[in-house]
Amino acid sequence: MQTQEESLGDVTVLTITGHLDTSSATPFESVLMEVIDRGERKVMVDCGPLEYVNSAGLKVFLLAAKKLETLDGQLVLCALSPSVLMVFEMIGFTRIMNIAASRDEGLRMFREQRAEA
Amino acid sequence: MHEGSITIRLSADVAEIERLNRIVRQFGELHELPGRTLYAVNLALDEMVTNVILYGFAETKGEETKGEEIVVRIEVHPPELRCEIVDGGREFDPMQVPSPDIQAPLRERELGGLGIHLMRALMDEVTYRREHPKNVLTMSKRIR
Repeated sequence: MQTQEESLGDVTVLTITGHLDTSSATPFESVLMEVIDRGERKVMVDCGPLEYVNSAGLKVFLLAAKKLETLDGQLVLCALSPSVLMVFEMIGFTRIMNIAASRDEGLRMFREQRAEA
Repeated sequence: MHEGSITIRLSADVAEIERLNRIVRQFGELHELPGRTLYAVNLALDEMVTNVILYGFAETKGEETKGEEIVVRIEVHPPELRCEIVDGGREFDPMQVPSPDIQAPLRERELGGLGIHLMRALMDEVTYRREHPKNVLTMSKRIR
């Protein structure tokens, strides 16, 4: 598992590559929580190069989404592969998380929320 | 796709999970399993073996114990794939674990029970039996 961070305007994008499993969930949680703890409120995780996720990894996404919700922030996940998306559907995450097909669609999700506010 | 089987012996150590996942993927590729089936089997085995390693042998929940053996067997008999996990840990029937409420809103979603729920959703048939002093979990899935 590797992550890469970039900024697109006020959105922080973390791209996650490889396998998010029991051993890599803790380092990934540290990276994601560090971004939130330093004050970022619009966080997007680009899951395009994410090949595998298990329940330890799913918990990290759930924790981050919960935390951002309490802080009036937003977590958006984009570009999930069909297998990863299938797992998100099975666990009911597609109904509680912001999931976009692409980065562009993900960025629009943040803008739409601002328009509603 | 080819018929075949493999038996993997693991010690109760979290470092073994990565080895298990690697062997399962290699086995799946060698036997030309469809990507979706391989992903499902890989994930179901990962979840259940991780549970055994983390909770099956420890007196205290979450404490890791070394030296115990877990035996995983995978059989490909098209159109079906069967997996079996045998461990000498304390008695545990994953089918008795209640499913998380996946309809709950985000703030009420709980972190526990995700792995067992996933395994049950990924597999077509799951049976548990206690063969004292061992737990035997059998999972099967139609290959597609």
